[in-house]
Amino acid sequence: MIFLSRLKAFASSRVLATLGMVWLGVIIFAAVTAPLLAPFDPTEIDPIARLSEPGSLYWFGTDHFGRDTFSRALFGARMAILIGSGSVIVALLLGGLVGMLSAYFTTLGHVFMRIVDVLMAFPALLLALVLMTLLERSVINTILVIGIVYASTTARILFGMTLKLKNEVFVDAARCSGAGHISLLFRHILPNLISPLLVQASFIFAFAQLQSAALDFLGLGLPPEMASWGNMLSEERIYVTRAPWLLIFPGALIILSVFSMNLVGDAMRDSIDPRFKNDIAGV
Amino acid sequence: MLSYTLKRLLTLLPTLIAASILVFLFVHLIPGDPAAVLLGDTATPQEIAALTREMGLDKPLWQQYTLWLSEVAKGNLGQSIFFKAPVTSIIADGAQTSILLATMTIFWIIIFGIPIGVLSATRQGSWVDQLTSGLAMFFASVPTFWLGLYLILIFAVGLGWFPSSGFPSIFDEGGISNLRYLLLPSLTLAAPNAALIIRLVRASMLDISREDHVRTARAKGLHPTKVAIKHVFRNALITVVAAFGFTFAALVSEAVVTETVFSLPGIGRLVVQSILRRDYPVIQGVILVIVVLYLFINLLVDLAYAMLDPRVSLK
Amino acid sequence: MKRNNWWKSILGVVLYGLLVGSGWTAGTLRYATVGEPPSLDQHVVTSDLATTIAHHMFEGLYTFNAANSPVNLLAAGDSLSEDGKIITISLRDDVKFHNGQAMTSVDVVASMKRWGEFGSRGGLLFSNVDSVEASGEYEIKITLSQSFGPWKNLLAFINGGPAIYPASVMEGATKEPIEPKNYIGTGPYKFSEWQPNRHVELVRFDDYTSPSGAADGYGGERKANFDSLRFMPVPDAGTRVAGIKAGDYDYAESIPGDLYAELDADSGVNTILNGGPIFGLVFMNSKDGPLKENFELRRAIQTAIDKTPALQVAIGPEGLWRANGSFLPEGNVWYSESGAENFSKGDAEAAKSMAEAAGYTGDPIKFMVSTNYPFHYDTAIVYTKQLANAGFNIDLQVYDWATLIEKRAQPDQWDLFFTHHGFVPDPILISVMNDNYPGWWVTEEKAALKSRFTATSDPAERQAIWSEIQALIYKQVPTMKTGDVYTYNIASPSLQGLGEATLIWPHFWNVSK
Repeated sequence: MIFLSRLKAFASSRVLATLGMVWLGVIIFAAVTAPLLAPFDPTEIDPIARLSEPGSLYWFGTDHFGRDTFSRALFGARMAILIGSGSVIVALLLGGLVGMLSAYFTTLGHVFMRIVDVLMAFPALLLALVLMTLLERSVINTILVIGIVYASTTARILFGMTLKLKNEVFVDAARCSGAGHISLLFRHILPNLISPLLVQASFIFAFAQLQSAALDFLGLGLPPEMASWGNMLSEERIYVTRAPWLLIFPGALIILSVFSMNLVGDAMRDSIDPRFKNDIAGV
Repeated sequence: MLSYTLKRLLTLLPTLIAASILVFLFVHLIPGDPAAVLLGDTATPQEIAALTREMGLDKPLWQQYTLWLSEVAKGNLGQSIFFKAPVTSIIADGAQTSILLATMTIFWIIIFGIPIGVLSATRQGSWVDQLTSGLAMFFASVPTFWLGLYLILIFAVGLGWFPSSGFPSIFDEGGISNLRYLLLPSLTLAAPNAALIIRLVRASMLDISREDHVRTARAKGLHPTKVAIKHVFRNALITVVAAFGFTFAALVSEAVVTETVFSLPGIGRLVVQSILRRDYPVIQGVILVIVVLYLFINLLVDLAYAMLDPRVSLK
Repeated sequence: MKRNNWWKSILGVVLYGLLVGSGWTAGTLRYATVGEPPSLDQHVVTSDLATTIAHHMFEGLYTFNAANSPVNLLAAGDSLSEDGKIITISLRDDVKFHNGQAMTSVDVVASMKRWGEFGSRGGLLFSNVDSVEASGEYEIKITLSQSFGPWKNLLAFINGGPAIYPASVMEGATKEPIEPKNYIGTGPYKFSEWQPNRHVELVRFDDYTSPSGAADGYGGERKANFDSLRFMPVPDAGTRVAGIKAGDYDYAESIPGDLYAELDADSGVNTILNGGPIFGLVFMNSKDGPLKENFELRRAIQTAIDKTPALQVAIGPEGLWRANGSFLPEGNVWYSESGAENFSKGDAEAAKSMAEAAGYTGDPIKFMVSTNYPFHYDTAIVYTKQLANAGFNIDLQVYDWATLIEKRAQPDQWDLFFTHHGFVPDPILISVMNDNYPGWWVTEEKAALKSRFTATSDPAERQAIWSEIQALIYKQVPTMKTGDVYTYNIASPSLQGLGEATLIWPHFWNVSK
């Protein structure tokens, strides 16, 4: 119930962030119910109806295959949520574990953080490009590649935060009362990191949308037959003057979703422990 | 200070070697081979195999790696399979575009970002503050290729104010005025990257303005703007300079998409095109150079911190 | 004060940049290409883009006129012995290389030999050649092992063909393309520089002597009006279009079909159709997998497909494609309708029963396609749907082009793959005629027809045999033609002398702005 009242306070003080939350709710709803809501099969090809303008039949118009853009946009929401949450999970699990363990066990940390250094030395997008060419285009690979790219930043951040907490009084107290390593790490240190982790998660989610759209644009992201907003933009970009709706709708969807996620992340950042505030860069 | 610097330099070496192995492996494990791309669609598998042999690309990987590394140690990044030119000179040419583009982008960020950041910090919580940070965040949410596409359409095709694409070298005909080719791309890149700097400027000004010497200055009755500029801004500068360092490094490599939209001969597009053609020496060379640049900027930023802020201990 | 000056100078540079108009002189042609050529060495590289650039600086003994017949370029004349086995070619004696040397038979023989041994299309001719020798300072003699009809067409086709280089450049040249510093030819433009990622620049060759006669196709007079030609890579099609509209380029190639109507109506842009169509090909694996020797199953696949919707989706406007089953287009001497009734049946039911009769039980059929060419991918998506409707289990595998080329060399990796073919003036040059081309179509029937096809020089007889070969292709289905695609380029209206249509590759001699 505390959560609810907090949410209320949040909503009243942060109008934009609340709108962002609402929009994200809409996207999640669209993603879940896409097959029910979509008026057309998103892969159905119809040469006669190709490049139709938006209207009562095709709300967002059709693309050069004659596929319904609205239906594709709905299924694209699925990809957005999938890629976003997938990358967040990979980045937080991998990066979080490496960062925390490295800060806690100093010798292990020395080795781990060197590896993170090597990874961080690679420019994110170039690393993703090379990896995607190596691994072939697929949903899983896109998630893994984006996740790994942000895992290294997450590891760095968690490393720093765990170091700060490690020497706090409450950790010492727990240690004295006989808590083991695992208990110390996951029952005493981790709960203090949850809210900064959530903030980090929201920024990774937002970045992942832009990164995967960029990969789609370069022809190295999701398989091209997948209906994703990035693929829709990339495939139809030559129609910018001939059929402007093909760029405006998916483009607006990406911008709104990333913007919402950034707003939410920013609002959350303002409400976390001031010790960690500057550790998370975000945007 | 000197010993600290040397120590830091020494620890770079293993990182570099590990990175070089990774680069090499990644690049060579990609399916497809340059001989096939070179010869084109009509070539038969036998012809492709013959050319692969002729170019020495059928040797075991570790042999190719040691060969490459020993050349790299001598400062030779090899020869491009397609351009038949030294990789170093190809990278140098790409670097001209990338560095100029990054510099111009940073220029826009400074022009727009720092004043906006200072403004919103001095008016913390006001509508100005909320509007600017909201706008900055909005621009950070726009995919660069989408923005670039529309900028070309409006400012190059529609209004005809700027060139649409390409970038002739500034040493070529046209000289320094060729920089106008970089106006639209640098604005495209600045839009999403300004947000980070604005937020940082704002945050570090707020943090520092809470510190003692600033409060003292204010208590002494100095004009708030003067306090902001003299005391706050100067200290905030360290954080911001560091952020610029990383933004610059990121811009050099992350401009791939912008370079593709605007057909700029920068490093990012060089990598993408070279990956598509499997021009191994070029891909390896570029990534290695960027990795070195990253590590170097990292080191410089750390050293700058150490020098400017006595609180950072020189362990 | 100092700081003020610094700001001022930056501002000055920016303003200066904005105010100073284009620094380009009217003497430069700015050509936006789809990318960068792999190399410009015409012997070994068959990229159309490479030829578009290189045929301004390299010339062969012959070239094609507007009617696609070979005419003299560096050759002055020729004669064929009674038995068709000895070709004597006399050379023009007024030709200079870009390095100032005069071109003689020594250079021609050296070039022919390197092309014959290592050239992409050299083997086609040289598997029938016993010797090439100089029989005078300006005369060469080619001795064939048997009469070989298409010799002149092969010598005239510069793409992967016998460009004439100086003998010094040919020394030690192998399969590996020659280096840019050795780009020395006889053409109206000479190589200037290749700035990776930026441009390939050719400049006018002042000592050029043109072949005589009125310009006709690639034949006849060649006059270099531009000081230089700059070929700049602009891989994004939308950027190429924007660049022409904004006046940053004079000419841009390979524009998406759907933009044709809009651009054709735009007075600020000229559209130029390519006269010779390209055509997509779906190759079938004759060496391994379920399609090996199962001609019935291949015909079932062929029957399932309706080519028209794919062309509508991939290309767009009606005028830019033709659902044409003949391998060479209507109006061409090689046009033939034999077998073409099977070109585009689109009969899912018939296909289903044919597949059943062929013993197909729903095993996956691996279909490889690349995204590097949007029309490949679009077409493959439509075919996959149609084949699925006819009960085929298609496993569509999407790769980048370099990966696809590597995979297709391994017979166990694929069953179908998508590629396209440029317009060629002689069917012997079509890739499916090559036994070693992936797909590996080698049957007795093909071998018999092919040897008859090359043995004779009589045009009518060769055309008749080609009809039989085409019928055999529709029967054994080593490959499926997807239809003719007329690509088009766009140019700034200020370019003069471009002609109505491009033959195969655009050329910029006799063009000015």
